[in-house]
Order: sequence, then structure tokens, then C-alpha cells
Amino acid sequence: MSAPEHPTNGLDETVHQRHRLGILTIAAEAESADFGYLRDALGLTPGNLSRHLSVLEEAGLIQVWKGYQGRRPRTWVRITGQGRSALAAEIAALTKLLRRHGQAKPG
Amino acid sequence: MTRPRTQARNTRWLDEAKGDLMTADNPGSGGGPDDEAGVTEAATLLSDVTRLRREARSARHAYWLPLVLFGGLTCASVPFYIEPMATCRAAARLVGPGHGGAARHSGCAGSTSAPFVPGFGGFLRQGWQGYLAVYWLASIAAGLAVTYLWYRRRGRQVGLVTPARGFLITGLVVSVLALVLATAGLLPGDLTIRGTLPFLIIAAGLWTLARAERSGALLVVAALYTAVALLASLYNIENVLFRLGWNPSPGQWQLTSLPNVLLPAFVLLAAGIAAFLAQRRTRRTA
Repeated sequence: MSAPEHPTNGLDETVHQRHRLGILTIAAEAESADFGYLRDALGLTPGNLSRHLSVLEEAGLIQVWKGYQGRRPRTWVRITGQGRSALAAEIAALTKLLRRHGQAKPG
Repeated sequence: MTRPRTQARNTRWLDEAKGDLMTADNPGSGGGPDDEAGVTEAATLLSDVTRLRREARSARHAYWLPLVLFGGLTCASVPFYIEPMATCRAAARLVGPGHGGAARHSGCAGSTSAPFVPGFGGFLRQGWQGYLAVYWLASIAAGLAVTYLWYRRRGRQVGLVTPARGFLITGLVVSVLALVLATAGLLPGDLTIRGTLPFLIIAAGLWTLARAERSGALLVVAALYTAVALLASLYNIENVLFRLGWNPSPGQWQLTSLPNVLLPAFVLLAAGIAAFLAQRRTRRTA
């Protein structure tokens, strides 16, 4: 009989990073999220946030586009279907890991 | 491919946990220092996810406006529900519910130049009351458009856009469906006789909005409002007031339809004002 799969096997290294997980979480809560909101909510510098967005965009987990509000340029982020699946898988894996640990702890 | 330094640091426990998995005899037992660190980090990450979700929802919640707007539109519709002739209502009662056509033949209809819109105007079509259907068609269209634009504007302000397109589409589709079904005579007369069908259309919109807003509070409001809208469509609420001791004078008989309008309006306005205060307090403390 094979051993049950360890929850960490469900973790994706692209998503399993605090800030990228945060970006996906926020993006999944709205139709689209503004660069400024993400920066403030996650406490990141613009450069750091840009790098994380690039990683997620390259992985096909988000879409990034630029627009204007009046004369002010704004960058918007939208989570893709793949991104939603990856986020759900990550949260499920983390939850499973915690539950498993809780069960393994002596009473 | 080399991993960025921050990424390497942030996923180190993951590698360690996976390494443990490969070497441990009993991977599920836990208890090692790396596993402990991994579990602690997992708990922190989940806690972050919960916090960010809560903050994002709190920042983009803006449903007070559609509640107040549709509550206000319902209040503004009150003049259309005031009966110009008490005898019309008496005639309608004589022929019984669901027989609007018969009521119209009793002399209460036909004296208006308003276009006949099935389902939206109830059976009383005399004087200004005949314009109830036109009022609601215009109000629902305007309310949907204003709500949609409100969410677009609010989304740009806070940096999180609520998917309000579903609310707009649901409102339009349900309105057209109600018109088609009423025209085809497929809607039960009880739902249309009091001119309260628009309340059910608003209720359908609220359910969609609650889903878009991911708000449990709005879900409760939608459920409560749906119940009240159904009650107002199927029952003469003034009967309750009569039992409670309201004995209308001859002049007040014209107002006996109003509880069916004012109760749904009250639910929307009370919920809208409470939501406004709660959302303002949340933003101040954020």
C-alpha cells in the first residue's frame, strides 16, 4: 500500500511565495486590481512588485495591462483561470499541511 | 535557471519539507525542526491570505448605494400606488385576486393614456396610476445603469474593481424575461396584480450583487428582501395592520396599498444606511 501524498507536493514554487500568493489572493477578490493597491496592501516597493508581477505573468497566472485614468497612467492586474486554479491548489495544500500536522501532534 | 534570492529564501522551507519527505520513513509524522518551520510558515501564509481577502473585500464593498438607490426609487413610486378611487380596490376584491382583467372591466381601467406594460403596473390603471409600469421600467433601467457606473467609479478610486457587469446583465435579463412571461400570460396573477413585480426583479439583482461583492451581509439582506418582496406580491400587508388596530378613515382607504410598497422600501433603506455607516467606519479604521 502506497503512503498518502504529502501536502507539500501540492505546492507550486511560483505561487508559494508570500508576496506572489498575496498578489493572487487580492487579484482573485476583484475583477481587476490596481498596481497602487497591491503595492500598498503588500507593503512592497514598486520595483519589487513589478518583479513579482513579471514572474506571475510569465507563468500565465495573471494578465497585466496599462491604462489611463484621466492623464494618470495606471497598471491593472487580472487573475487568469490558471491563476485561480493555482491559488486554490496552494491554499488547499497549505490547509492540508496544517491539518495533517495538527493530527500528527500528540494530544 | 537560477532562482532569485528572495524567492530562494521564501521557498527554502518548502525545499526542506520536501527533502524531509524524501528521506523520512514516516512522512506524515512531523515533529522535526524543518517541518515545524514549514507548518509555522504555512500558518502565516494562510493567515496572510485571510487578512488580505478581508481587507480587499472591505475596501471594495460599496453596496450601500444600490440599496439606498432602489429603496429611494421604491419610495418615489408611492404616488403611483395611491388609489384615486377607493371603489376600484373594492371592485378588485369582489372579483378576487389574479383577475386583473375583470377588475379593469369594472370601471377602474381604461381611463389612462399610459401604455399598457404587462406585469409591471398591477391591475389598477386609472389616472397617474397607469404610469406605474412606465415608472418602474425607467427606474429599473436607470438604477441598473447608475449602479454599474458607481461600481466602475468606485473600483477606479480604490484600485479594486468589483465585477458589477453580472448585476447589470441579471437585472436586464430578468426584466425582459418578466415582460415576456407576463405578455404570454405565464406569470401567476398573484405576482403581478399588486404592481410589485419590480421588487422581485430588484431581489434577483441583489443576489447577483451579493455574489459579486462576496458579502455575507448582503446575502442576508438579499434573502430578507426576497422574502419581503414575495410577501408584498402575494399578500395584502395592510391586513396585518388592520389586525393590529389600524382602522382607516374613508380618506385613508386610498393608502391601504402602501404597506406593500413601504415595507420593501424600508428593508432596502435600512440595510443601505447600515451598510453605509459600517463601510465608512471600516474605511476610517483601516
